[in-house]
Amino acid sequence: MVYGFLDGEMDDEGRRQIAQHLDECGPCLQQYGLEQAVKALVHRSCACNAPETLRVQIVTRIRQVSVTYYQREQ
Amino acid sequence: MDDDVIETAAALPSGESPEELSARFERDAMPYLDQLYGAAMRMTRNPADAEDLVQETYLKAFGAFTTFTEGTNLKAWLFRILTNTYINAYRKKQRQPYQTGTDDLTDWQLHAAESHTSRGLRSAEAEALDRLADVDVVEALAAVPEDFRMAVYLADVEGFSYKEIAEIMETPVGTVMSRLHRGRKLLRELLEDYAIERGLIPAAVGAEGGDDA
Repeated sequence: MVYGFLDGEMDDEGRRQIAQHLDECGPCLQQYGLEQAVKALVHRSCACNAPETLRVQIVTRIRQVSVTYYQREQ
Repeated sequence: MDDDVIETAAALPSGESPEELSARFERDAMPYLDQLYGAAMRMTRNPADAEDLVQETYLKAFGAFTTFTEGTNLKAWLFRILTNTYINAYRKKQRQPYQTGTDDLTDWQLHAAESHTSRGLRSAEAEALDRLADVDVVEALAAVPEDFRMAVYLADVEGFSYKEIAEIMETPVGTVMSRLHRGRKLLRELLEDYAIERGLIPAAVGAEGGDDA
């Protein structure tokens, strides 16, 4: 249930209830902190830059497809 | 060159010239390259296949671009093509059995009630996990079964909503939630193991063990 809260998937009433519970329950708050930490960890660890060569390759092929198709239309 | 791609692009209802269409596609779709590549790396787990997968995805997307309604969710549209291309082209090639785990919503409901933890070092644990190297996190994630892994990736790295993830993975929202729950639980356990291995958390915390009620 805390995932709905963590992922911003709850309505206002649900959010309010969970937030209130976390205020009152130390163990739950700590567990929530752990879930937040894991989520943030995945977010920062998985950022990937595509190789520039890939970008060039794809753009080249896209343009080729357009040109080829355009020739067919004539 | 793939004939299907050319034929799909044959009609231009938008009235654009082919050059205009490809320019618009480049402008709107190419900015997602890094993100699609990142997702492809999590799926294929090697750069060569990830590059092939992304390239194939972009070609398919371009071929279908005239069917895409401008102003709607292009990012989710691209991710869905990526996911489908992966399933159709790459997953079938793998010799490993298809890894889903069990998408049992009842199981998720049971687990949702669990784990009030009383291990006093949880906040220290959160800090310890934060000190893990990116490569450890990536490796831990790679060990999570594929469907769970992709749900976690789409939620935590790309910030898709449950509804968007459901559309991308073509499963009900309940299944998405189940995959997220199980994926995160598995990942957390793997990360804890890494942190213990790296000496970031003492191994013998809460050794009485019976407190995860």
